[in-house]
Amino acid sequence: MTGRNPETLMAESEENFDFLFKVVLIGDCGTGKTCIVERFKTGNYVDRHGNTIGVDFSMKTIAVDGKQVKLQIWDTAGQERFRTITQSYYRSANGVIIVYDITKRASFSNLQRWIEEVRRYTASNVPIILIGNKCDLETEREVDFEEVRHVSQFIPEVLFVMETSAKENTNVEDAFFCLAMELKRLHDSSDVTADDDDEAIQLGKSKPLNSCSSSCNLT
Amino acid sequence: MSAAEVIKINKPEDLSFEKCPESAEETEKRLEIEKFIKQDKSQGRLIELRKLAISEFGLVNDELRQILWPQLAGIDSESLERVPNLHELQAHPEYHQVVLDVNRSLKRFPPGIPYDQRIALQDQLTVLILRVIKKYPNLRYYQGYHDVAVTFLLVVGEEVAYAIMEQLSTTHFSECMQETMEATQRRLMFIWPVVNFENSELFQFLRSSSVGTLFALPWYLTWFGHSLNSYKAVVRLYDYFLASPVYSPIFVTASILLHRAEEILKEDCDMASVHCLLSKLPEDLPFEDLLKTSSKLYERYSLTVIEKEVEKLIWQEKKQRQLEDQLILDRRKKVVRSTSSNKGSALRHWLPRFFTPRSMIVTTALSIVVGICAFYYKNQYPGIS
Repeated sequence: MTGRNPETLMAESEENFDFLFKVVLIGDCGTGKTCIVERFKTGNYVDRHGNTIGVDFSMKTIAVDGKQVKLQIWDTAGQERFRTITQSYYRSANGVIIVYDITKRASFSNLQRWIEEVRRYTASNVPIILIGNKCDLETEREVDFEEVRHVSQFIPEVLFVMETSAKENTNVEDAFFCLAMELKRLHDSSDVTADDDDEAIQLGKSKPLNSCSSSCNLT
Repeated sequence: MSAAEVIKINKPEDLSFEKCPESAEETEKRLEIEKFIKQDKSQGRLIELRKLAISEFGLVNDELRQILWPQLAGIDSESLERVPNLHELQAHPEYHQVVLDVNRSLKRFPPGIPYDQRIALQDQLTVLILRVIKKYPNLRYYQGYHDVAVTFLLVVGEEVAYAIMEQLSTTHFSECMQETMEATQRRLMFIWPVVNFENSELFQFLRSSSVGTLFALPWYLTWFGHSLNSYKAVVRLYDYFLASPVYSPIFVTASILLHRAEEILKEDCDMASVHCLLSKLPEDLPFEDLLKTSSKLYERYSLTVIEKEVEKLIWQEKKQRQLEDQLILDRRKKVVRSTSSNKGSALRHWLPRFFTPRSMIVTTALSIVVGICAFYYKNQYPGIS
């Protein structure tokens, strides 16, 4: 690799990867952030996972377009009291996953506050993906997928929306894979513009919704 | 109501945590404690009790803890308050948060506990927490508080556990229960001067990895209850903390870091690797040695000296951050200059000004409102689109 971006790539490391991206998971308490990470990382599902205090950290390397992409995943506590602490972890994030619970309307209504947080504390316009977790609980659904899709069209940072179930292992891997692909693509195109990550330039690159839809199952 | 009666209410005798056979030293310590309990002297009793709780093996077993934890915490078992029922507390604004955390605290209950018994204990735990925060509206519940409460509930039962939690919430944990976690964050920085005084190489390494103190947050907030898998280790630490000064968990944290120095120094010096290593406590930590080191460190360094060092660190960090921000700004300016012939440069100059925090909020709010309107509009008049 030549011309590595210091913001996203670590230089020489003994491990074998081409890209390193820092991804931060945020969202209300009990939406299943830790279960999603656990499912993605180990393939297991732990019912009633303990709450997260502060920040938990995981890593996983996946192959995207023949390249090894290492994801550094920071799983944050949902309780508001921890926000002042977790905010410092947004600073150098390359991508953000906001998780809401499809069976809790309030966790969707709070998206606005979470997006504000991201805008305020990340260094530049980082891409966001929205994940509606617990989609196995169809009978308890309080948030309509079409509604989220529609609303997210008006939030330029949002790359795509996806519903997942950590419990039944639906779309969890796809969500991380699509995000990794987008991050790699964004990085590839930022190389062309002399490694510049200025907001003004990033703005022009904001993606229309479903830019990932061609390769992902969005239901 | 006598102490014995209070404890009988839900004496957790049938809770089957791992029961290791008592070692010869533990038997000796147990006999010493039993002798102490039978003694009828009041002068210097608390000092002696504290020594027993701090020294090797602590209070040894949960039967002794049931009797002695209330005494260590300064609880008068004669004047315990009536337990309100769950319904009286449901209106509390934190009710749902507490229930959410209590419901997923399975890990803290003995493995294989019968379902009904666990549900009953979880209800007691919810009541116990809500009682404290209802009585002290200035104290805010935090996730992790239930990890402390459950430890006491399992050992001394709900009445005494409430009295102990009330006591600790207004002393040891009052800082953590403030409106924000800022004071706690600052307190955690007390780890650094202690590490620096003892092993400056380790301190320099940890600083340059910019790992921060977040790895230790769950330890501090829960007296390690959230992070240790061994029940025996958790109650042993609680013996120690109940008998020790308020900031002792800081010194235990420092002694853990010093103990793991060699292992830490071998790690890659970056935030992710170091955070990952530190946040996972090894199963085989020699707690008796670590507690001895912790007490020594507490004796050796005064809190005033540590505080002054922390202020220096905070100032240095602030300077460092300003420097980094300046570097980023300079880099951006350079890029803008190098492409200044582009007609987009004027836009680049104005856009950052447009994106002030306030305008961000307004745009986010506006975009979401527009989104919702558009959605309903579409649904109302499907023919238009």
